[in-house]
Amino acid sequence: MAVGALCWALRAARQVLPLPCPGQVRGYYVDWRMLRDVKRRKLAYEYADERLRINAIRKNSILPKELQEVADKEIAALPRDSCPVRIHNRCVLTSRPRGVRRRWRLSRIVFRHFADHAQMSGVQRAMW
Amino acid sequence: STSSVLSTEKDKSAVSKDGTTEGASKRQEDTAGSAKQKLLDIIGNMKVEVSYRKKLQELKAKKQAMSRPEGMDSENPQRTTEGIQRGKPLNPELVKAASAVASSFPLNKKQTESELLAQLRRHEETTDKQRKGGTVNIRNVISEMTVKRQSPAQRGVRISNRISLDLDEDGQRIRPERFSSQSFDSRSLKVGKRLNIFTKASTEPEHALKTVSSPTIWDLEFAKEIAAITAQPPRNGFEEMIQWTKEGILWEFPIDNEVGMDDDAEFHEHIFLEKHLEGFPKEGPIRHFMELVICGLSKNPYLSVKQKIEHIDWFEKYFEEKKEFLQEI
Repeated sequence: MAVGALCWALRAARQVLPLPCPGQVRGYYVDWRMLRDVKRRKLAYEYADERLRINAIRKNSILPKELQEVADKEIAALPRDSCPVRIHNRCVLTSRPRGVRRRWRLSRIVFRHFADHAQMSGVQRAMW
Repeated sequence: STSSVLSTEKDKSAVSKDGTTEGASKRQEDTAGSAKQKLLDIIGNMKVEVSYRKKLQELKAKKQAMSRPEGMDSENPQRTTEGIQRGKPLNPELVKAASAVASSFPLNKKQTESELLAQLRRHEETTDKQRKGGTVNIRNVISEMTVKRQSPAQRGVRISNRISLDLDEDGQRIRPERFSSQSFDSRSLKVGKRLNIFTKASTEPEHALKTVSSPTIWDLEFAKEIAAITAQPPRNGFEEMIQWTKEGILWEFPIDNEVGMDDDAEFHEHIFLEKHLEGFPKEGPIRHFMELVICGLSKNPYLSVKQKIEHIDWFEKYFEEKKEFLQEI
């Protein structure tokens, strides 16, 4: 409970400079972990093509092995956050790492909250 | 008074014609071209249109006729009266027939003959009217008529429309608006004399202004302000859907599968990618590898031609950088 309160207090501030409007714009992510996840996603998007091509060279039976080893080294040299494996699907609203339904990107608690208040379209309490 | 005038004039003509019908017709034919005859004919033709005008011109003609026969021969009053009477003179055969019929009657010959001639002349009048002035009369009537003539019929139509139509979900009535627009079209706002109240706004200075001033920040802010103020919240579901479609939240129907996909390239540009392999050696494992890459790209429907070319170019660069390394092997 105390941890939760601390987490709520330490809201992650995110400054976005390259925006069209002249002034500063601050948007808040739920917590730092969510911020880091956002960074990882962005980097993964940037390096996606390169990673694909280098992996195509690596996972190959035609090209010589030396070339493939060089490719291994190259891909390891890329920033660590650029690999898509490090992305973790957290809850969009609460940043909960576990119990997240992929279709709604929400944790089970938030999902239940909205569904009970009839704010989830097409979701109904199961009864059979 | 006109009828009495007619009878007196026709008595004169009847008297003259009793004696010399053929002679009179001959004289008419001979002297048809005279200026006075022409004038009188014109006056007589003018009389055909409106009754009031007729009366005025009759009076004028009578004055002329009265003034002339004082100092002229007996022939002229015949022609003047005949000219006055109604445009064309009657057929001499008809006159002969009328005189014969009148003579057969035991009662007053002159009166009967005058009445018959009057009736004949009326027939002539009507035919003349129909030939010359009939259309003119209608035109005069329509021009005098006001535009309001159609309103009772239109009102009835509108009322019947309002009663008969079903209200839409949102309480809006689209059809009566269409009907009212159609009614305005039937009235045709563009017909009629121009009042010249408003002067046409010239378009040239507008173009000049647009080219001179580039949109400043203040203009942009002003435009944004206006857009924000005029953007009223949607009154109904339709307007909400329109707003969503404009924003891009809702797709446009009927659904176009190729929205946002502006792939101008033909299919052969996607499939036959061997021409991009010119930078690679023709034999060896690299060529083998690149041919496999091309095979995979040709089967890929998700990438554009540009992206595929970039893919191949990246490999070309990569292998050029590793050339020295490869040659060592």
